[in-house]
Amino acid sequence: MIPLWLIPLFPLVGVVVLTLIALASSESEKGPDEGLVGTISVIFPLLAFVSTAFIGWNMPAEGIHETLCNWIDTPLFQAHFGFLFDGLTRTMLLFVTGIATLITMYSTGYMHKDRGFAKFFAYINLFVFSMIVLVLSDSLLLTFLGWEGVGLCSYLLIGFWNKDLKNCKAANKAFLVNRVGDVGFLLGMAALVTVGGSSLLNYTDLIAWIVNPASAEMIVSALPLLTAAGLLFFWACTAKSAQVPLLTWLPDAMAGPTPVSALIHAATMVTAGVYLVARLSQLFVILPGVLPVIALVGMLTAFWAAVAGLLQNDIKKVLAYSTISQLGYMFMAAGASAFDVSIFHVFTHAFFKATLFLGAGAVMHALAGEQDMRKMGGLLKKTPITAITMLFAYLAIIGFPGFSGFFSKDLILERVFEFSPVLGPVLYGVGLLTAVITAVYMTRLMVLVFLGKYRGELRDDQIHEAPFSMTFPMIVLAIGSAFSGYLWNVFVSGANWFEQWLTPAVGYAQKMAHFMEKAPAFMPSALFFAALGTAAAIVGAAIGYKIFKNKRIPQLKKNADTTPVGGARDWTFFFDYIHNIVIKVFNFLALVTDMVIDKFVQILQWMVCSLVFIVGDGLRSLQVRKVRLQVALSIAGVAIIGIVVYLCGGLS
Amino acid sequence: MLYALVFAPFLAALLMVAASGKDARSASRLATILAATLFCGSLTLLLAGDYNTTPMEWFTIPGAGISVTLSFAVNGFSAWMVFLACIITLAALVSARKTMGGNYRNFAIGMFALLGALNGTFLASDAVLFFFFFEALVLPAAILIGSYGGQERREAALNFALYTLIGSAPMAVALWYLISIAGSSYVLPVAQAAQSLPESTQTILFWCFAAAFWVKTPLFPLHGWQAQTYAEAPAGLSAVLTGSMSKAGVYGFYFWVIAIFPEVAFKNGMLLLGFGLLTAVYGAFMAMRAKDIKKLLAFSSMGHLGLAVAGIFTLNVEVFPAVLVMLVGHGLSASALFILAGSAERFAGHRFLDKMGGFASRYPMFGFFFGVASVLAIAIPGTAGFVGEFLVLLGLWGVSKVAAVVAGLCIILTGVYMLRLIQKVLFGEPGEISEDQKKLRFPIADAVATAPLLILLIVFGVFPLPITSSLDYTRVSEDQQAELEAAIEAASQPAAVAEMSKQYSAEAPVADSAVAEPAVADSVAAEPVSADTAAVEAKAVTEAEQKAVAETATAEQDVKQVEAENVR
Repeated sequence: MIPLWLIPLFPLVGVVVLTLIALASSESEKGPDEGLVGTISVIFPLLAFVSTAFIGWNMPAEGIHETLCNWIDTPLFQAHFGFLFDGLTRTMLLFVTGIATLITMYSTGYMHKDRGFAKFFAYINLFVFSMIVLVLSDSLLLTFLGWEGVGLCSYLLIGFWNKDLKNCKAANKAFLVNRVGDVGFLLGMAALVTVGGSSLLNYTDLIAWIVNPASAEMIVSALPLLTAAGLLFFWACTAKSAQVPLLTWLPDAMAGPTPVSALIHAATMVTAGVYLVARLSQLFVILPGVLPVIALVGMLTAFWAAVAGLLQNDIKKVLAYSTISQLGYMFMAAGASAFDVSIFHVFTHAFFKATLFLGAGAVMHALAGEQDMRKMGGLLKKTPITAITMLFAYLAIIGFPGFSGFFSKDLILERVFEFSPVLGPVLYGVGLLTAVITAVYMTRLMVLVFLGKYRGELRDDQIHEAPFSMTFPMIVLAIGSAFSGYLWNVFVSGANWFEQWLTPAVGYAQKMAHFMEKAPAFMPSALFFAALGTAAAIVGAAIGYKIFKNKRIPQLKKNADTTPVGGARDWTFFFDYIHNIVIKVFNFLALVTDMVIDKFVQILQWMVCSLVFIVGDGLRSLQVRKVRLQVALSIAGVAIIGIVVYLCGGLS
Repeated sequence: MLYALVFAPFLAALLMVAASGKDARSASRLATILAATLFCGSLTLLLAGDYNTTPMEWFTIPGAGISVTLSFAVNGFSAWMVFLACIITLAALVSARKTMGGNYRNFAIGMFALLGALNGTFLASDAVLFFFFFEALVLPAAILIGSYGGQERREAALNFALYTLIGSAPMAVALWYLISIAGSSYVLPVAQAAQSLPESTQTILFWCFAAAFWVKTPLFPLHGWQAQTYAEAPAGLSAVLTGSMSKAGVYGFYFWVIAIFPEVAFKNGMLLLGFGLLTAVYGAFMAMRAKDIKKLLAFSSMGHLGLAVAGIFTLNVEVFPAVLVMLVGHGLSASALFILAGSAERFAGHRFLDKMGGFASRYPMFGFFFGVASVLAIAIPGTAGFVGEFLVLLGLWGVSKVAAVVAGLCIILTGVYMLRLIQKVLFGEPGEISEDQKKLRFPIADAVATAPLLILLIVFGVFPLPITSSLDYTRVSEDQQAELEAAIEAASQPAAVAEMSKQYSAEAPVADSAVAEPAVADSVAAEPVSADTAAVEAKAVTEAEQKAVAETATAEQDVKQVEAENVR
């Protein structure tokens, strides 16, 4: 059996090797050999994938738990480095490492001739390492290491082209918004530790503690604090997974290279929040009130972002809002205590969204970096492979029957409806409406990019299909987006392998949740939901095709901005406005600190100082160097204070 | 070893006098070897654990009959502080190799003198000795700033010296008062004497002591000297000032204030904790607005130390290891950043953040080091800073939820200003530069100096056990508490003195080595507390002046040596 720590070790070695290469070649003009760097950077995620697959294949049903060594050992708090490999981890790790390998391969083509080639892959490997630690760790603290690690990599990669300060600002925003969430994570951990000691940060111990009847009384008495912890953890999730209200960073994060958007901001990192909720499912189900909050936040996000996606002109921004919206679906599912379904959607979404982003990257590659959809069109003939892979992913995301998104989205809507008599139908209705909007904006994207006439300025011979290193990962992922849904086919009994994998990790929590919930009075069959879902997809696609196929797109100026205008702008930047208020408040506080408080302290200080100087003036003529003056003054000061104390009758 | 660590740096300073002033290379070689040897010495402290030297009668202050002992002691806290002082001095001396040029020798002399004073401060277990070294810190630092600082170096040096010397004046008085009662300036009798006093007196003395450390750390609002001093000092010196000297304040709170006035400290703990947090927020806000790269780092240091002081004044023995990790982490990362900021200053020719930019593309090596250093300073998990911050946060949460939320806010703000720093220095389009500046390259010396600091930061982040275990007194803490109270009750009975001193040696983080124990007991028993306090007080005041003069005279000699070198 392979030890678990090998999985994160591979990419870590990759980081070290690539960093050394990047540093060694940093002074040279030519840069390192791209073939060599490319091979190294693909091989380590691949090795991680292979070892995950191997361990996952031979894994016992209850999972593997390994404790490596002591990390923190103080009387206040103890923690270990430990890894936990169970059904949930296996699922997450398989697609994280698998997709990471494919996207790294894609990047070797995409980043061709970039000045920071080796640096880029060092960051990517660091990201893979952090992400593996995040999902493989057996305790919240170690998960937090990965959690901040992926945030850091996201920061580094968004600001990868750091000569442009706009990219840096986007990167800073991503890091800081995430940091606001991370503090929630920290405080949540602090709350848990105060309730039941540092062992509660360990997942297995936490579950054992909750399940143990002996601690029931303690849980009841500490319920407010536990609820606070649950909300704080969810707060961290809203930042990492771009939910209301901490979602503003994700659209800006599109400033990074497109493979980064595909890997970090669509397939893997942003789903960490969903993972955390599933991981802590046992905690969440016993907290009354937290799960509905999660479901409502998810619903709000899904709807808001879908509408925002409809308003964008930038192809990557459409996909970014689409990601936010799909993440909203996942949280809706998690909030309805269907944790396995939420992870199932994470899984299928990873495939089709990665395909879409890589396709967008290929389109941009073909059009010399153009991101404005109004300047695209008619690319079906010029880039057929891209078009067809994107078509697969498109059908998956709108939930067309038979494609992966259909299965997962259908399950989400079904479970959400069951959730509760009142909230359930509301969530279901908004979810279905969002599905229609999703189909509309995705159809809009496909129509604007691939159909009609080309509206840009490039000559025909300048537009070319991407190289094999880019198309190959796209094809693999497109196959995944078509078929990954069959792992949990509700219509065929027994074809629910995905559910079975996750049962050891989340099954208990879900059973408990079912036990506590009331079933709704009216419960239609699975086929009814499927039919409505299909109808939503087809109606949305038809509307989108009808509107945008024949819509005349006005000629654009050369450097026209892609930002939407008017009401669309307000809708898109609604949460940015709110964030700006908070930022302004803090800037104002800093201003007051600097201009008022600090100046006041300085004035006070100089007043005291000038008094000393007046006293010291008499001595100055005797002194040559200033340092001696100070020494003399200090002696004088001591003497004066001493005499005063004496004259006042001493200290007693 | 303790004697060696305190006095060898002064010896090294003397040796440097013998080195050639012109040939910077040979001088730097000598300095590096000496500093490396001292650093190895500091490592032995970490390995050896707690112990103390036999207190040796040094001299008796004439007329008052107060015996001053020459005694040093090492505990977990001070061992790590000495370690920090030595490694940062080494790094500073290595990095100054290229930049100080012909002045290298004098710079090294000053640095060694400063190191000796630092080690003395951290290791002294005699109040007078401690005070002597604590004051002696100021002189080499001020002289170095005055001689090799930036444009406003004179003002900065003066401001610094005045502030810190005046700040410790009340402590001098309070100290004199205490030792005149105790009849000895060794830490145990002093602590006994303090606790035998009425509470109102104790409170006054407490604040006198606190003032000195308040300025040294510095805490808001007595921080006026800090930003200017750090900004004007040469890079290596700023590194030592923030990495090590500022810790003298925190150490003072920990070892002297809390040990001597435990009761008053418990009464005023929340107040000081509040001031610590206030300082943290204040420092973060000021750093957000700083226009000068080194001032940004200075305020950032202030913020971190504020948090550390807040951690100390949770007055929870379980939190102290966390504070220690935090201090070590901050010492390593802040000093690395100051050294690198020195490079940035050279590249740009000035310190204004708004006019920097694009260094990542122009100096890729520098970009790497600066990037890593500043990212580590944000205290991402896996660095020593994170372990410290998280544990302190946990400790604060235990005291008050509000305090923890404020600390959380500081963690966010740290991210804000550090990212601003990275963006302003490293990113963006490199601007036009003059021919001279084009020739500049990132000196290897800086890389060599900062790399170990950064590596240690990660090592301690993954494996903080060596730091945390060195300060683990909690396993017996409750017994100690009981002993302490028993000791306070028994303070007036001379017969119990010997017994008492045993208890104290367990309470104060001084190891109970078999040799030291009877010696201490004897010295305390031999000089029973004088009944006639009024007479002692009267003497105290006059003697305070004499002593201060005597001390400064010794310090003056040091100064003169260094000054003489400077003049040459």
